[in-house]
Amino acid sequence: MKYLRKYPFLGPLVAVVVVYVIFAILAPGSFTRAENLTTMAGQTVVVGIAASGMTLVILLGGIDLSVGSNVALSTVVCALCLKEGAPAILAAAAAMASGLAAGLLNGALVTTLRITPFIVTLGTMRALRGLAKGLADEQKIDAPSSGIEALVAPLPPGYGWALFPPGVWIMLATSALVAAMLVYTKGGRHIMAIGSNEATARLCGVRVERVKWLVYGLAGLFAGLAGVMEFSTLTVGDPTDSMGLELEVIAAVVIGGGSLAGGEGSVAGALFGALLMTVIRTGSTYLGIENWVQDIVTGGIVVTAVALDRARRASETRR
Amino acid sequence: MFGRTLRFALVLVATLLLLSCNRKEGGAKKIAVIPKGTTHEFWKAVHAGAVKASREIGVEVVWKGPLAEDDLKGQIDVVQSFVAQGVSGIVLAPLNDKALEKPVEGAAKANIPVVIFDSDLAGNAHKSFVATDNLAAGRLAGEKLAALLGQKGKIAVLRYQEGSASTQKREEGFLEAVRKMPDIKVVSDNQYGGATTESAFEKSESLLAAQNAGSGGVDGVFCPNESTTFGMLLALRKAGLAGKIKFVGFDASEKLVGALRDGHVDALIVQDPFKIGYEAVRTMAEVLAGKPVQPRIDTGAVVVDKANLDKPETKAIVAPDLAPWLGK
Repeated sequence: MKYLRKYPFLGPLVAVVVVYVIFAILAPGSFTRAENLTTMAGQTVVVGIAASGMTLVILLGGIDLSVGSNVALSTVVCALCLKEGAPAILAAAAAMASGLAAGLLNGALVTTLRITPFIVTLGTMRALRGLAKGLADEQKIDAPSSGIEALVAPLPPGYGWALFPPGVWIMLATSALVAAMLVYTKGGRHIMAIGSNEATARLCGVRVERVKWLVYGLAGLFAGLAGVMEFSTLTVGDPTDSMGLELEVIAAVVIGGGSLAGGEGSVAGALFGALLMTVIRTGSTYLGIENWVQDIVTGGIVVTAVALDRARRASETRR
Repeated sequence: MFGRTLRFALVLVATLLLLSCNRKEGGAKKIAVIPKGTTHEFWKAVHAGAVKASREIGVEVVWKGPLAEDDLKGQIDVVQSFVAQGVSGIVLAPLNDKALEKPVEGAAKANIPVVIFDSDLAGNAHKSFVATDNLAAGRLAGEKLAALLGQKGKIAVLRYQEGSASTQKREEGFLEAVRKMPDIKVVSDNQYGGATTESAFEKSESLLAAQNAGSGGVDGVFCPNESTTFGMLLALRKAGLAGKIKFVGFDASEKLVGALRDGHVDALIVQDPFKIGYEAVRTMAEVLAGKPVQPRIDTGAVVVDKANLDKPETKAIVAPDLAPWLGK
């Protein structure tokens, strides 16, 4: 009980384990294969990385609906650079830079125009999607093989000691960095303070605008990195990719204990939230569950997870 | 607290148990069939064909497309999941000829054979490609329109879109067939209708006007897919030329079949999605049985006109009865 209060990510972790065990029982043998574990980890990378950024935004009491478009833009930028002959590392850097720029734009609009983040990012969601389509000339862009594909591909023989493809380790590293930043740095505590009570934080001398700008920028940067991982899977730049990804990312954060009112959320929890959705998706594929059923189940689980969390909090405050 | 977690877990278990009630047990070979989407009419017919083949052969077919229609990443994820699961074989209609190449290579490495259907894939990791031969279907259209015109007259083609491989093949086949006839003149073959019915309608109007279709500048028209055919139909009706200019279209929607009955469209070239699904699964079964298979299997196209529209064999293609296979 008290562990759960101290480590809010235990709830979603339990949920992941429970759902995994259920599918392991329903699809005996094949679901528990090691290949399946690494495949599922690889398929969580994009949402997982974007979710660390989204956790920061949601902690702040904000929201970022432009993540999906930002990821698509990043795949297009990556593919265009590779097509022009740029080395892989440069293409990835350019893709991340485009994500950062988009994030900083979100931050600038939120802080200077004083429009709610929901509206601002609803606008940039469309605008970035348009930019991606324009850059790509409304087509998918083929890119030469560059090595970026190896980021989330199954490990080549002889590299089994790495356990997971590099993308998974990058996801874990970014999550660890963000979590450490929240706990150990002043900036991290400022984010928490603004999310809990913006007016009080301002009175205490927190430079609210600067922190917000930084957080939206970081969220954009992570979306750019997620886009590089997405490109690694797609191997083409796709301007229509990741429609609705933002909702999956927000769901991951919320399942992981994030509150859209701000001030609450956990990076580790968001990671387990993302993993939970991958496990459900993969399990549904294994059992051949029809798509419409899968949609309903995923939606139901998001609401159930949050309802349980709220009930837990309510019972705690009563005590 | 653990009471709550437990309750949550129990709800989940109950839901999933309910969902899995109709799961089939047994040692039958499991073939994953992955379409481009699951909601379009075309894919329902493909699904039905796949189920028919699976019942005849005695294999289990798992039908699973991307959650969102035409979602490339979603389709790649589904392929990877089936590879990790270790199914006996994968039958796939790739959304992109390049992006699906790696996942299919991954399947081949894991010794899972892959049969591609509907749209082609780059590379050579797959065993066979089952689809309509669009070049032949285009030739069929050209021969039909030429016959309707008595082998002479002025013909216009409204193309679909640059970069769409299947329709370009149809256009190519059509032009190849009509250019063999000395008395047929192609007056326009460089206009593109674009992605939507709306854009196709506008292009059709300007094409008809530019060629003076109202005063005998065009005798016959061909369109290579559903949206261009429908757009052209609307333009012909608006100009009062429907039924006067010979018109061969592609694909059969309800509205196009209605126009065929009204005599506004003279013939439609129709693919056979049921047969595509059926042949794809059968080919996979042959691969699994260790038999050699053709690298390219044509599932054919047929000409539908007013004369054969109500014949049972045409009906089986244009509006197949899916209920026995899909149970709805």
